[in-house]
Amino acid sequence: MKTIAKKEFKELMREKTFILAIIIQLFIASFSTFLVIGLTSFYDPSTLGNVEMEGTSIAVVGTENDELFKILQESNIRTNLYYDFQPAYTDFYDRKIDAIIVTPVGSSGGTDLLNVDIYLPKSEIKATVVSLQLKEPLEKYEQSVRDIRTQRLPGYTPIEFNVIKRGLKTTSTYFEFIYVALLPLLVFTPAFISGGLIVDFITEEYERKTMELLLVSPASMIEIVSGKAFLATLIVPFQSFVWMLLLSINRVSINNSLQILLLVTIVAFILVMASTIISVLFRDRGVAQLLYSLILIFLFMSSYLFTNSPMNLVTRLSIESIGTLESWAWIGIYLLTGIFLYLAMIMTVKQDPNNI
Amino acid sequence: MMAGWFTIAKWELLRSKLKFDIRSMIMLTLSLILVIIASYAASQTGMSMNQKIYLAAVSQPEVQPIIETDQRFDYVLVDRYTDSNYYEYNADVAIIGNNVYLGDTRKAASAGDALENTFKTYRELVLTAYNDVNNSHPVWITVHDLERPQDFQLAGAEETAENIKRGANTTVYPGNIPGAEGYTGRSGSVKTGSSTISPEEIAALDEMQGRAFFEKQTIATPSNFSPPIPFTAILYAFLFIFPIYFISQFYSTSLMDERTNKKGELVLAAPLTGRDVVIGKTVPYLLITMIIQTAITIYILGIPSTFADIERIFLVLAAIFPVVLLFFALSFYSAILSRSFKELTFASVFLSVIISGYLFFPAMFANIHAISSISPITLIVRLIENEAVLTNTYLFSTLPFYFVAISVYTFGTFIFREEDLFTQKAISGKIVDCFEIFLSYPYGSVFLLSIIFIPFVYMAQLMLIVMLFNLPLAYSIIAMILLSAMAEELVKSIGIYTLFKRKIADITLRNAIKYSILSGAGFFVGEKAVAFLTLAPIASSAFGSVMTMGTLLLIPLFLHITTVLISSLVMYKRGTHYYLVSVVLATLFHSIYNIVILRGLFF
Repeated sequence: MKTIAKKEFKELMREKTFILAIIIQLFIASFSTFLVIGLTSFYDPSTLGNVEMEGTSIAVVGTENDELFKILQESNIRTNLYYDFQPAYTDFYDRKIDAIIVTPVGSSGGTDLLNVDIYLPKSEIKATVVSLQLKEPLEKYEQSVRDIRTQRLPGYTPIEFNVIKRGLKTTSTYFEFIYVALLPLLVFTPAFISGGLIVDFITEEYERKTMELLLVSPASMIEIVSGKAFLATLIVPFQSFVWMLLLSINRVSINNSLQILLLVTIVAFILVMASTIISVLFRDRGVAQLLYSLILIFLFMSSYLFTNSPMNLVTRLSIESIGTLESWAWIGIYLLTGIFLYLAMIMTVKQDPNNI
Repeated sequence: MMAGWFTIAKWELLRSKLKFDIRSMIMLTLSLILVIIASYAASQTGMSMNQKIYLAAVSQPEVQPIIETDQRFDYVLVDRYTDSNYYEYNADVAIIGNNVYLGDTRKAASAGDALENTFKTYRELVLTAYNDVNNSHPVWITVHDLERPQDFQLAGAEETAENIKRGANTTVYPGNIPGAEGYTGRSGSVKTGSSTISPEEIAALDEMQGRAFFEKQTIATPSNFSPPIPFTAILYAFLFIFPIYFISQFYSTSLMDERTNKKGELVLAAPLTGRDVVIGKTVPYLLITMIIQTAITIYILGIPSTFADIERIFLVLAAIFPVVLLFFALSFYSAILSRSFKELTFASVFLSVIISGYLFFPAMFANIHAISSISPITLIVRLIENEAVLTNTYLFSTLPFYFVAISVYTFGTFIFREEDLFTQKAISGKIVDCFEIFLSYPYGSVFLLSIIFIPFVYMAQLMLIVMLFNLPLAYSIIAMILLSAMAEELVKSIGIYTLFKRKIADITLRNAIKYSILSGAGFFVGEKAVAFLTLAPIASSAFGSVMTMGTLLLIPLFLHITTVLISSLVMYKRGTHYYLVSVVLATLFHSIYNIVILRGLFF
C-alpha cells in the first residue's frame, strides 16, 4: 500500500501536475478577492470612500420645500435643484450632472402613492455609484412617509430597534463573505480536487491496461486502491493548512484551526472514497468524472439545507459560534460516514469479478 | 475527402454510445435527478451556508419571531439580568427593550449590522401582509436608463486618457458621438409624469420581487431598490459554460484514449490525413454541444413565435459558438500534449478556470462599463435583455476567440502524427514541433508566425486587464507593462528559437539580424491591424492605451525589431539554452521603453 502511494506521489511530482493544482487554487483565490472588493463596494457604499461621492452630482427636479429634497440635502450628496426637467436633462447630456431625480407630486399626509423617477446614465459605472448613494436617503424618505401613513394600518406597531454601535466598524457583508464563503471554499478546494484526482489515478490504470501488471505483483487490488486513496487524502490537509496560513497573514483570524483541518481531512476522505467506488465500478474516465462532478454538486447543494454541513461547520468553528460538544458530535458523524464509505469501497472491490 | 472525416465522426458517435451502457446511464440520470432536487430545495432557502453564525441573547419573547426569520442567528431566551451579561456566555448581541447592545469583537459588530437588516426585512414582511399598498408601501421608485455620449475613462486616469485621445490615438478613437439632432428627438420621449407606472395591488410587488433576479429592475420600493448589478450575467455564464465544460471533458478523454490505447495508430495508418481524423473526432462533440446550447437558449428566451425571435436565438448561438470552439481547441491541444489523465485533468481545469474568468468577470460589468464588451457573455446578456448588438461589437469580442481557436487547431493538427502522439516526448519539444512544421512550409516564416500570434497576445493582455483591474491603478499599470511586454517578446522570439534550435537556419549573425527584422516587422503589422480593427471600443480607456502604446510614428516598429534582436543576439552568442534569459532581457528593455513613454502620463 505504501509503495503504491509512493509511486503515485513520485509521478505527481514528475508531471508537475501538482504545481498546476496550486496555480488553479491561486486563481480561485485571486478571483475571490476580486469578488470581495467588487461586491462589498457594490453593496456597501461607505467602502467606496468619499472620493467617488464627491465626484457625482445629482439634479433634483422639484421645489425647495420637497421633503425628499431636504433629506437628500442632509445626506452627503451634492444636489442641484432644478424647477423644470428640461434644463436638468440638458446638463445631464452635457455631463455636468450624473443623474436626475424627479420628486413626487403628493405629500406624506396624502393617500396617493408617491412615485420617485430616477434617471440614470445607461451603461456607466456612475449609475451604480449614484444608486448606492441614493439608497439610504430614499429609505429615510420612505420611513418618514411611513411614520405618518402606517398609523392608518389597523394594529400595526412600528418595529424600532436602536443598535448601539461600538467603535469597531465592519459590515456583515464583508465579514460573512470572508468566513461564510471564502474560508470554506478555500479549505475545501483541495478536497474537491483530490476527489477528481483519484478518478484519474484509477481509470488510468484500466485504460492503459496496467492494472493487470500491478495485480501480478504481490499487491492485492484493495492494497492498490487504498494506496492511491491514501495519497489523495493525505495531500489535502497540507494544502488547506497553507490556505489558512495565507488567510492569517492577511489578518483573517481563524479559531479552532486544528479541528477545521481534521474536518477537512475527513471530508476529503469521504469524497475520495465515493469517487474510488465510482471509478472501480465504471472504469471510464469521462463517465466517472461526470458522475463525480454531479455527486459533488449534489452534496454541495445539500449543504445549503442543514446547519452544521461541512461548510457551515468550518464557518462556525472559525468564528467560535459553536459549542465543543456540538462540533465534536458532528465531526464524529462525518467520521462514521467516512468509515461506512470505506467499508463500501472494500465491498465494491471484492465483489467486482474482474478485479481478482 | 468528405467521406474521410465523416467515417471517423460516425465511429466516434458509435463509440461514445458504447461508453454509456445502461448501468452508467441509470446512474447518471439518477444523480442528475438528485442534483435537480437538491438545487431546487436549496433555492428555496437563502442560498447561503450561514446558519447560526451569530448568537443573540434575548429577554423579551416578542423578539423571538423576528430573530427566527434570519437563519444567521441562534438565540437564547434569558431573563433581563442574565441578558445584560451577554458577553459572559459568548453571545454577540443582547436585545434589551428597544436597545441592541453589541460585544466588542468584529463578529459582534458584523452581527449588529446583520441584525439591522433583519429588522428591516421583518418590517417589510409585516407591512406586506397588510393589503394596503398606499399606506404600507407609499414610496415607489421608477428607474429610467438614459443614453448620453459615452466617455468611459477609468477614475483617476481621465486626464491621461484625454491626452492620448487628443494625441496618439486620434485615428482609433471613435468619432461617432451622437449629434445634437438626436438629442432633441430623445428628450421628447422622456416622460416627466410621476405616477404612470405605480402598481395598484400588492400582487405586483410579489411579482416584482420574483422576477428581480432575471430581469433588470425598473420599479421598486426604496427598501428593495438595488444598484444595477447584473447578477443575471453570472447565472447565464454558468448555464452556458457548464455543458461546454463537461462535453469538452469527454472530447479530450476520447482523444487521450486513442493515444493511450494506441487505437489511433490504426486510424492514422488508414488512408486518412491527420486533418480528417481531427475534424471527424471534433464535429460530433461540436454538434452535440451546439444542440444543448440551442436548448438552453430556447429555455431562456422562450419558444420563438416570430421571425425576430428566431433571429435572436441565432445571434445568441453565434455569440456562444466561438466560446465553444475555443474550449474545444484548448482541450484538443492539451489532450495532445499531456502525458497522463492527471495532467489532462489539471490542464483542462486550469484552462477552463482561465477562460471562465475571461468570460465571467467582464460580463459582471455588463451595463456598467464598456470593458465588459470583451466577453461574448456580455453580448448574450444584451441579446437576452432585448438590446441591439452592433456588428463591430460582435467582431470585437468574438474575433479573438475565432482566431485563437483556429490557430490552436492548426498547430495541433500539425503534430497529430505518430511521433508526437505515441511517444513520451517532452511537452516543450511537442510545442516546438508545431512551429518547426509551420516554419518548414514554403510560406511559413517568422514574419507570418508573429502575425498569427497577435490574437494570442491580444487575448492574454485583455485577460490581464481583467486580472489587474482590482489592483491600485499605479501598480496595475506597471504589472500590465511588464507582463504584456513579456507576452510580446515571447511570441516574437519563439520562431527564431525554433529556427536555431531545430537547425532550420544556421546560427549566424546575418540570420539573427534578418529574422529579427522579419519577426519584429510581422508583429508590428499585425498589431496595427488589430488596433485598427478592434481596439476602437476601448482605445480611450487607460488600459487600452498601454496596449496600443505609440500608435505614433514608426518608433514602435523600430522597438519591436530591437527587442527581438536582443533575444536573437543572446541566442546567437550563447546558444539556444539561454532562450529564457534572452526573453527576460528583451522584456526588461521593452518595459523600460514603455515606462519612459508613459511616465509623463501616469506618474
